Amino acid sequence: MRYLRRIFLRFFSLFANSKAEAELDREIAAHLQLLEDDFLDRGMTPEEARRAARCTYGGVEQMKQLHRNERAYQGLATTVMDVQYTLRQLRKSPGFTLTAILMLAFGIGATTAVFSIVEGVLLRPLPFADPNRLVVLGDDLVGSHWDQSSVTAPDIRNYMRDTHSFLHLGGYQRIGLELSSTGDPVHVDATRMSGEVFPTLAIAPLMGHWFTQREDDQHQLVAVLSYGMWRERFHGDEKILGTKILLDRKPYLVIGVMPRDFEFPLVPGHVNNSELWVPLSPRPEEFTAGYAASWNSHMVGRLKPGITPAQAQSDSQLVAEETMRNYPGFMRSLRIRSEVKLLHEDTVAQARPLVDTLLIAVTIVLLIACANLAGLLLVRSIRRRREIAVRLALGARPAMLLRQAMVESLVLSIAGGLVGLAFAAACIRIGISLLPETLPRIHEISLDWPVIAFALGLAILTGLVCGLAPAFAAIRTSVNETLKEGGRTGTSGSGHGRLRSTLVVAEIAVALVLLTASGLLLRSFEKMREVDLGFRVDHTLSAFYVLPQKRYATQSAIDNFTDTLLRNLRQLPGVKAAGISSSLPAAGDGGELAITVEGHVPQKDAGLNMAAVSLMQGDPFQALGVRLLQGRLFTESDKADSQLVAIVNRKLAEHFWPGQDPIGKRLRRGMPETPTPWLTVVGIVDDVKLGSPDDATVEQFYQPVTQLTTSEGAFASAGELSATYGYIVLHTDTPPEQLENSFRAAVRTIDPQLPLIQMQTMEHVIADSEAPRLFNTVLISAFAMIALLLAVLGIYSVIAFSVALREQEMAIRMALGCQRQGVLHLVLTSAAKLGAIGCLLGLLIAAVLSHLLRSFLFGVSPFDPLVLMLSAAAMLSFALAASVLPATRAAKINPIIALRGD
Amino acid sequence: MSSKENEPIQLLQGTLDLIVLRTLDSMGSQHAYQIATRLQQVSDRLLNLNQGTLYPALVRLEQYGWIKGTWGKTENNREAKYYAITRAGQKALGEETQRWRRMAGLVEKLLVEES
Repeated sequence: MRYLRRIFLRFFSLFANSKAEAELDREIAAHLQLLEDDFLDRGMTPEEARRAARCTYGGVEQMKQLHRNERAYQGLATTVMDVQYTLRQLRKSPGFTLTAILMLAFGIGATTAVFSIVEGVLLRPLPFADPNRLVVLGDDLVGSHWDQSSVTAPDIRNYMRDTHSFLHLGGYQRIGLELSSTGDPVHVDATRMSGEVFPTLAIAPLMGHWFTQREDDQHQLVAVLSYGMWRERFHGDEKILGTKILLDRKPYLVIGVMPRDFEFPLVPGHVNNSELWVPLSPRPEEFTAGYAASWNSHMVGRLKPGITPAQAQSDSQLVAEETMRNYPGFMRSLRIRSEVKLLHEDTVAQARPLVDTLLIAVTIVLLIACANLAGLLLVRSIRRRREIAVRLALGARPAMLLRQAMVESLVLSIAGGLVGLAFAAACIRIGISLLPETLPRIHEISLDWPVIAFALGLAILTGLVCGLAPAFAAIRTSVNETLKEGGRTGTSGSGHGRLRSTLVVAEIAVALVLLTASGLLLRSFEKMREVDLGFRVDHTLSAFYVLPQKRYATQSAIDNFTDTLLRNLRQLPGVKAAGISSSLPAAGDGGELAITVEGHVPQKDAGLNMAAVSLMQGDPFQALGVRLLQGRLFTESDKADSQLVAIVNRKLAEHFWPGQDPIGKRLRRGMPETPTPWLTVVGIVDDVKLGSPDDATVEQFYQPVTQLTTSEGAFASAGELSATYGYIVLHTDTPPEQLENSFRAAVRTIDPQLPLIQMQTMEHVIADSEAPRLFNTVLISAFAMIALLLAVLGIYSVIAFSVALREQEMAIRMALGCQRQGVLHLVLTSAAKLGAIGCLLGLLIAAVLSHLLRSFLFGVSPFDPLVLMLSAAAMLSFALAASVLPATRAAKINPIIALRGD
Repeated sequence: MSSKENEPIQLLQGTLDLIVLRTLDSMGSQHAYQIATRLQQVSDRLLNLNQGTLYPALVRLEQYGWIKGTWGKTENNREAKYYAITRAGQKALGEETQRWRRMAGLVEKLLVEES
């Protein structure tokens, strides 16, 4: 402790130097006086006494130096003096100081806020033990265009049994469960997973224990709760372990609670996190028929020490080949490739383009802020040229001047960094609520030590870089020339002028890059809003439901429920049409499957024909407002035993039957070798956007849910039930929100325990699907605005200063008869010239960087002439506007006063 | 400053601190001149020190928080800075004395064994 105290005091003493010196002087004087008194008492003359006192005391100056060395860190003393000098100087020009600090605070604040996002999303290790050994294992189904690697139930069994590269390996599947033992029945997001997954992740439970592979294999009904679930639904009850909860109306024994920060799977966003975990315990039918061809699960594993992901991948590929050899006949044309990726890479892959763009945007803002600071410092050093020349003439060493210049820029940049940090903290707080849910681990974003270290490091770097140019400009000052100029300020060195112009041009150029990016994104957003979604957005209400198997164990029970539900809903006042669809437009959950079309001979290596299927009951087309183009919609008479029918969308029809009448044509589920019955096309509807409006339209077909099991042929498993879930859609003639209560009531009269999930209007669904693009656009535009603001500020300060330097020149011109108009023209022309060069350069840079932006654009080329021209024109006019004020000021110069000055 | 110049002071440092603390502990608060005088008495004038040498030790001890200086008057009505040992200083004195004794004992033992 005492050492800390001393270190602090020795440091602190640097700043209280004069006081300590005075105290020391006083003490020495007193000491000498006492000595002198003593010697006088011994009978010496005053003269002798003084000398003897000095002798006994020893060298005063020597002692003082020893005292100083002991008192404070002398090595730092000159730096402290420089800092004090700088602070005095800065206090004298508060305008400059404030501008510089705020500008940097802007730049550093924005950069820091974004860095903390990057740090939270990309850089921070996964919250699991030894995350570098964690991998995901999945199949790449050749010919499909799925981008997520997933596995089937037999895959999980085979990979777990036959691979040798993994310490632990397990499968998992996200599911929804109905929780009905606590209050109102609710739908919870859950994950069923192999017992091996917990040891893979190696995070100890907060309470109790996790389930083992044994419990999983024995199909035990056990559940592990998430911390949030335990706190909210069970009020943090410590005695929860050993009690039973009802999931899908089956009793599960609670055996553990996970710690607060445990999250798995790491799904994008902070909603739909798994609230509890139950054993995977695959049912026997999941290894047969259609399930064996359903890539609806995932796998996570921990590599054995010394095994690389590539080795694990080739190991898994052997297992995959064995799996393919054992494929039943109806799926023998399917080919899978094993893929092993680091879990971390898999988690951040989706977020990377956004984060990259953000990084570029903030780098630009920071660059502009730097250029501005450098410009300001340069201007300042030119203003102090005379002072510097005098100091050089008096023998100041250039190194010292350089050091002072650096200290000044560092003091400014660190102050800016600290203010920027506060700014960033505010930004982060606001930002997290606005960030799109596609960013994984979003709640981990915060202003923590690495971020703060980053911000301060950035501030110091900025200070060094920005300080260098003006500092060298200052020490290159030629003493003779400057002092000879005498009172006349004249027009100063053209070298500095060039440097200033370069800064302005650079600022304009990079600001324009951001401005065009923002323009292109705004255009993309506008284009997206114009997209024909293919369905009605207003006056439409939807909600999702899942029937628990326990109560609805037979097809007749299910049909009974659905029929009653639709009948009741149709009778509700204000409901124009009611229907149930297995997928909801714009919700982004349309699963795709392989189809075979009659008479269509696939080209070699053309891959699988994939299409999204929706199963319909009631009048969902009418309820959603999907337009029928040709043929008919489904009716009550499309029963399980009548002719199998399908409705296709325009895109599918145009792909397979271009220029022909698709009505009466036939298609079926599965691959050519799969024994499935033909479906006859009875209608064609318009394309519907299943995900975000800026996603590509996919080929779609619709079936009556009653015919699902028959149409699946060999894919259908014994006793398979259909219509167990769906989106209920209502078309209302009143505002849809008003119907929510009667909608709920209608369901409750049939099954009081059944929860309705995510009841929302279609407007809401659309807004959600547009959110990521909206976020990107707003974000980049915000950065563009900041960049523009900073650039305008920079241009203004540089032009204003040049004008001030040329005041006498202007005065002479005017004295010689130049009109005020001419002066105005002179200043504006020089600004326009810089602006034009900057814009040209900016367009060039934008062109070079266009590939980065391409993935974010929709319906707009990165070279869209309108956007490029508009942004350049805007930038140019802003540059001109920034120079109007200094120009008019120059035009108002009174030549007599200006020439008399100095 | 070269390390050679430092050497004698380095050697004395621990000792000097200990002596100053000990003096203040037994004699109550003292000014620098009194401490110096006491030092000369105790060492039988063997230790020929400039009185100024005391000052770095005093500032060091004060920064450790072991002693505290206040301005006062001598009996001849001259002003002087009086140093008093603090509670932390007393504790440190105990520890330092222990350490010194162990050290001295060790050196003594070594010297005896060598000869």
